[in-house]
Amino acid sequence: MAEKLLEIKNLKQHFNVGRPNMVKAVDGITFDIYRGETLGLVGESGCGKSTTGRTIIRLYDATDGQVLFEGEDVHGKKSAKELKKFNRKMQMIFQDPYASLNPRMTVADIIAEGIDIHGLAKDKKARMERVYELLETVGLNKEHANRYPHEFSGGQRQRIGIARALAVDPDFIIADEPISALDVSIQAQVVNLMKKLQREKGLTYLFIAHDLSMVKYISDRIGVMYFGKLVELAPADDLYNNPMHPYTQSLLSAIPLPDPETERTRRRKSYAPSVHNYAEGEQLEMREITPGHFVYCSEKEYQQLKAQYAK
Amino acid sequence: MEKLLEVKNLEVSFQTYGGTVKAVRGVSFDLHKGETLAIVGESGSGKSVTSQSIMKLIPMPPGQISGGQILLNGDDIVPKTEKQMEKIRGKEISMIFQDPMTSLNPTMKIGNQITEGLIKHQNMSKQDAKNRAIELLRLVGIPMPEKRVNQYPHEFSGGMRQRAMIAIALAANPKLLIADEPTTALDVTIQAQILELMKDLQSKMDTSIIFITHDLGVVANVADRVAVMYAGQIVEMGTVDEIFYDPRHPYTWGLLASMPSVDSDDSAELAAIPGTPPDLTNPPKGDAFAARNSYALAIDFEEEPPMFQISETHFAKTWLLHPDAPKVEPPEAVKKRMRQLSSTFEKPVLVKEGK
Repeated sequence: MAEKLLEIKNLKQHFNVGRPNMVKAVDGITFDIYRGETLGLVGESGCGKSTTGRTIIRLYDATDGQVLFEGEDVHGKKSAKELKKFNRKMQMIFQDPYASLNPRMTVADIIAEGIDIHGLAKDKKARMERVYELLETVGLNKEHANRYPHEFSGGQRQRIGIARALAVDPDFIIADEPISALDVSIQAQVVNLMKKLQREKGLTYLFIAHDLSMVKYISDRIGVMYFGKLVELAPADDLYNNPMHPYTQSLLSAIPLPDPETERTRRRKSYAPSVHNYAEGEQLEMREITPGHFVYCSEKEYQQLKAQYAK
Repeated sequence: MEKLLEVKNLEVSFQTYGGTVKAVRGVSFDLHKGETLAIVGESGSGKSVTSQSIMKLIPMPPGQISGGQILLNGDDIVPKTEKQMEKIRGKEISMIFQDPMTSLNPTMKIGNQITEGLIKHQNMSKQDAKNRAIELLRLVGIPMPEKRVNQYPHEFSGGMRQRAMIAIALAANPKLLIADEPTTALDVTIQAQILELMKDLQSKMDTSIIFITHDLGVVANVADRVAVMYAGQIVEMGTVDEIFYDPRHPYTWGLLASMPSVDSDDSAELAAIPGTPPDLTNPPKGDAFAARNSYALAIDFEEEPPMFQISETHFAKTWLLHPDAPKVEPPEAVKKRMRQLSSTFEKPVLVKEGK
């Protein structure tokens, strides 16, 4: 397997610590992201998938645990200079293309903000050339540079968001539901663009979404989250063909497919955490059932799953 | 089957600073009793405007129903006054909206929002109405309805709010329920529950449903018939099998091909529909889809295509079905779904004006 770009170790993000309304949004998750891959993160709203993304890029300070980017911890004390270095390598694309672009800035200024901060262009001319180049990369034209965000459609705005993320030549992009707010026909355009950029620039993506069919299409591996915990992590096809954790099975059984015949016969499984019947003190952790396929389970379940799937 | 609703040649336009936007440009369809019709299309295709016109919820001005008829049980509701509409809304037709947080009143208890319609339309006493509200909450699967009836919307989760909205919509046993993207804001697991609930209630109450969505998976799950809208017009309409297994319009092909299927090859590019929908202040000459359509013929840029009929229930508005049109192959992803349906006519028939 390729080299690890990012290691997330026992990451925790709790809000309102010490108060009665404490929320354990992310509660001890561990996974790696390899260079050049797309890791999909799925789960219901409130399961902590967006918080995970935001904590990795340090929009929140982690309560506990480590995020290692190329072996260096992202969190912890850092000088402004070191932080700047990280910010250049990691970028984010947000869900809402309407709320995430400053309405008072021109497209050129939005895209070039990162270039200015990191001093990547030596003069005004080079700066504008870079902006034009980025606009072209994401399928917009030069003429769009001096317009304002309100003059664009949702799909075009998401392209501007992608151009902004690409402006500083990052290695790693966190895409937090980048297509959820877009129309079906436009979703495919944006996903194709993201795949093309990955091929050309060797980007690594963390793709957070709740649309499971799109996630399967774009991801190499998929992690499923439930109540702040990662419950299953597997290669995309493997997860769809052999979902092992009962929550994953329930999630997959709930997706309506664009095929009336299968829809007529589809049976939805529901998930209740009580099915596990965990005894007190049982050690729950991610265990590898088949190569690359991890499930959050107890020792007993591990043995059962192993017997069931390992052939 | 009995026809509940007939929409004939509906045209809706809006006056804006930029000119008149023709949001709905001649839409005709009918709806039978107990049937679910799904309307699909992108944002701006006119699907929500069509459904809001049926409730006459279009703000007038700037909106205007500039032509056509909406017959509910044979009675045209277009000329009806606001006062007359009040008797129809909630009682004959009700609506479920996309966002359950902004469409419930945050300062009113859930119970009062349900009983409002009952007290107004059915002259129910307060106590009877409250009992009915509890019964409705139980029907839509809300636990402890006696307690929930006195709570406010912010005390409900997203899925529960949508259930409460359904309870409000069903309070007066409407004959027609319009659901405008009722599950778009919800998680897949909650979505599945809401869809099951709607189907269950439909079979119990024999309500007709117009279901607006852009999720083709949801369409395949709920719909009996499907209407595909583009740029203010219905471009294809048929039973759910006809649309999914024998689509004829290139826009429908585009929609179906742009979705990844679970068993598709992930290394292949998705067949995206290029470009964006046209501006309806100045609808393009000819076929509105022509500019984004790789199958467009020369005539598409000149003359609007007529409606062709492919079976008793299947209609498509494209020149490709004309006898003189060249034979074309649909995209690979669509070809895989195609199958021969027994009801198909031997040759597409041109639909005469007035249908």
